Amino acid sequence: MSEILFYLGAIMIIIGGICDLFGALGLLKFPNFYIRLHAATVGTIGGAVVPLFGVGFLALGADFLPHKYAIAGASFVTGIIVLLAAPAGAHALAYAAHKAKLVKWEPKVDHLAEVRRND
Amino acid sequence: MLESAFMTLMKFVIPLYLLAFIIYGVRAFKGPTVVDIILAVDCLSFDIAAFMAILAVYFKSAFLISAAITLALWAYLLDIYIAKHLVSKEVGV
Repeated sequence: MSEILFYLGAIMIIIGGICDLFGALGLLKFPNFYIRLHAATVGTIGGAVVPLFGVGFLALGADFLPHKYAIAGASFVTGIIVLLAAPAGAHALAYAAHKAKLVKWEPKVDHLAEVRRND
Repeated sequence: MLESAFMTLMKFVIPLYLLAFIIYGVRAFKGPTVVDIILAVDCLSFDIAAFMAILAVYFKSAFLISAAITLALWAYLLDIYIAKHLVSKEVGV
């Protein structure tokens, strides 16, 4: 049972590392801030939340750790915090960039422009 | 037996994370606007928090995890303050 938890956590950590690298490459190569938000989502949800839950499962299954329940519980708490905080922060940044007119772009549809006109 | 499997895992995972940190750092240094810099610092902080959780298992120490929680909360606070400053040109209520 503990080996199943250990190898599940190891697979989740490897998936997190690969998602992290792809999110970083997308954040470097994409042309626009609003398109870079997509790569940032890959880098935070796939690259931080998945390996944090993986560390939790791995620490529950590892028998060589001295404080395994403390490390597992705190890893789950950190994963839930990142899962709630990263989309809220990215949404606030996108709204502020649109409101302050920082980024040049040519949209097909702009639903937030009605909000800006009403202010 | 599980410990040697974990050390073999670390040989694959640590270069992935370090390469991702370097690429995030490049975007944080050369970002054209301020929101790009803040987004790169944000991703960097969340990924350092995940990497500190992995290092807590590597070094067998429970103290690194509390710093990871603080780092995740700090990155969210940075987002909210910069967004508030960009919308209303001041930080306050």
